[in-house]
Amino acid sequence: MTVTDSAKVRQLAEFSVPAASVGIAAGLVAGGLAAFVGRPIGWALVTGLGLAIPLALFGAGYAVLLALGRIPAGVFAPAAVYWAIGFPLALLAHSVVTEWTVAGTPGLPAEPWKFLAFRALLSMGFAIGFIWMHEQLGRHWWPRILDHNLYARWVVAQYVELADSLAERKAATDRHRSKRRERTA
Amino acid sequence: MPIRALPKAPPSLHILGPTVFLVALGVGMGESYMWPRLVLVFGPDIRWLFMVGVTLQAFVLLEMARYAMATGESIFFGAARVFKPLMWFFYVAAILIYIWPGHLSAGAAAFEEITGIPWQATACVALVFVGVLFSMLSVIYNFLEKLLGLLIGFLVVGTSIIAAIVGSWDDLAQTISGMFAFGFLPDKALSEAWFPILVGSIAFAGPSGMQQMWYTLQLRDSGAGMGAHIPKIRGLRSADEAESMPSRGYMFDTENPEELQKWKGWRKWVTFDALLLFWGITMLVTISFTVLAMSAARENPDVAGLIEGGDREAALKAMSDAFASAGSPILGTLFFAFIALIGLNATLGLFDSFSRGQADMTYYFIPGAKRFSMSRLYAGFLWGVITFGILILLFGPADGPAGILDILAFLSTFAMGAYCIVLLLVNNKLLPKPIRPGPIRNVIIGFGAVFYLGMLFYSLVRFGVVVG
Repeated sequence: MTVTDSAKVRQLAEFSVPAASVGIAAGLVAGGLAAFVGRPIGWALVTGLGLAIPLALFGAGYAVLLALGRIPAGVFAPAAVYWAIGFPLALLAHSVVTEWTVAGTPGLPAEPWKFLAFRALLSMGFAIGFIWMHEQLGRHWWPRILDHNLYARWVVAQYVELADSLAERKAATDRHRSKRRERTA
Repeated sequence: MPIRALPKAPPSLHILGPTVFLVALGVGMGESYMWPRLVLVFGPDIRWLFMVGVTLQAFVLLEMARYAMATGESIFFGAARVFKPLMWFFYVAAILIYIWPGHLSAGAAAFEEITGIPWQATACVALVFVGVLFSMLSVIYNFLEKLLGLLIGFLVVGTSIIAAIVGSWDDLAQTISGMFAFGFLPDKALSEAWFPILVGSIAFAGPSGMQQMWYTLQLRDSGAGMGAHIPKIRGLRSADEAESMPSRGYMFDTENPEELQKWKGWRKWVTFDALLLFWGITMLVTISFTVLAMSAARENPDVAGLIEGGDREAALKAMSDAFASAGSPILGTLFFAFIALIGLNATLGLFDSFSRGQADMTYYFIPGAKRFSMSRLYAGFLWGVITFGILILLFGPADGPAGILDILAFLSTFAMGAYCIVLLLVNNKLLPKPIRPGPIRNVIIGFGAVFYLGMLFYSLVRFGVVVG
């Protein structure tokens, strides 16, 4: 079966939903809380989107690399390297948008290299949280699209070793239970 | 103990594990308030003590897991095998320390700052909600592991973002370099006013009190090691489906090389948990909160005074205001949202853990208790602590009567020294030789006992004060 380029793009986008959701959630919480505490809706929306869109795009980028087999599933080091670049850039975009909203013109933060380096260091925390939440959301989303999405099928296959091992553990428990039931019967 | 097969360990690379409970309990006021406060008072170099405290706790976690994974028994059962009064000490201490609902106050107060709903009302609703939720679940562990995993993931992502927005390179560089300033201890830290607070903060670095002991029960319910042979605790609604508990744990054949190979796999699995999930996440959250405190103090000098003064609620409010005025008004609210989230995590983890621990000891060691299932005993303790909590929130002192606060603080730190001694005894006396800890591990755990008990008694004898 050959898959057309547009179908591939569609499948990649579908596969990337959990990763993009983590970024969107971060932005929505920021924007939603701003609205909740009585800030103007426009201000809240711009601030939220200023953070959500870059993080969602970088999140989707991570998922695409995962789907194409460029980085292994569930391994922390590649995610840490990826976000050491993506996290500072996303916050730079957020800073530019915030400056734009407050001052009326977009502008870079003072000492942009220091700004980026500091966020690169903090990115490790974000990377752990991201990979953690990505797998939590993915384990609910990927099984739904497994039948028609090649990338989801391929990534889920990478988790098979873990699933096998867990199944074996469960089987050991079940065997023990049934033996005990037989004894008590 | 009867011999059974040790299940094969899953790959060490995993995201979720029973350590989420320890992280949920451990990442609390120590990380978000007590240590940032010490940094503002003594400077970032004081953080080396936090580093020592959390690293020590990571080794305690590994040794707790050794006994629980090898036998499927809790550490309480192990303590009873060595010397039964030890177990009764933990039984009584847990009730005295953890029955008070004071731990709900910080999170609920933060929620009040966001919504205006009085914190007592939020805390009472939260208590009933936790009780109903845990009663309705089929297998409590499975649900809680996923929920806490998601909440902690969100906490880590969120605090990283706030710290990235308001912090600076210098704050972070000082915070991290301070973790390696071994030996830094200014004279002021050894004063009557601050030494007890320092001892309390070290005890609160990571999981405090009996939280590490409860981890052995969560490890068992996760099916780790020989825990796979022990039935899981169910919610009250499904309690009838619960299988009866065996009267003791199991041991695997430590003479069999294949079984020992599997054991190594389990040790690798739990080491990943201890290093990345427990040590890593605890460090990351506390670094983020320290950066937040430093940037808040820079924005508003009054914040430093309030934090140093020790009024927790005023200090958290001032920090929130400082973030709000730093050009990002939403950050103040977000800060409170994360304090509330920490409170929610701790409440979920604490109620489950307390009920688990007390049910385990009651089931095995109180005559006649076996006629109730473990799941029913769990539900009994859960609803008992909830009912007592609501009554105290409405009519009494949330942290416990003022007259016994010192005793509770003493018991909490004393329990940590005591469980280090229990660990040395159970792992070296009860486990077969091939799976006993090596000398370095024993020295580290022995150091833990001296560290906690030594500081506690020094504070008591030198200053007449327990811990702050």
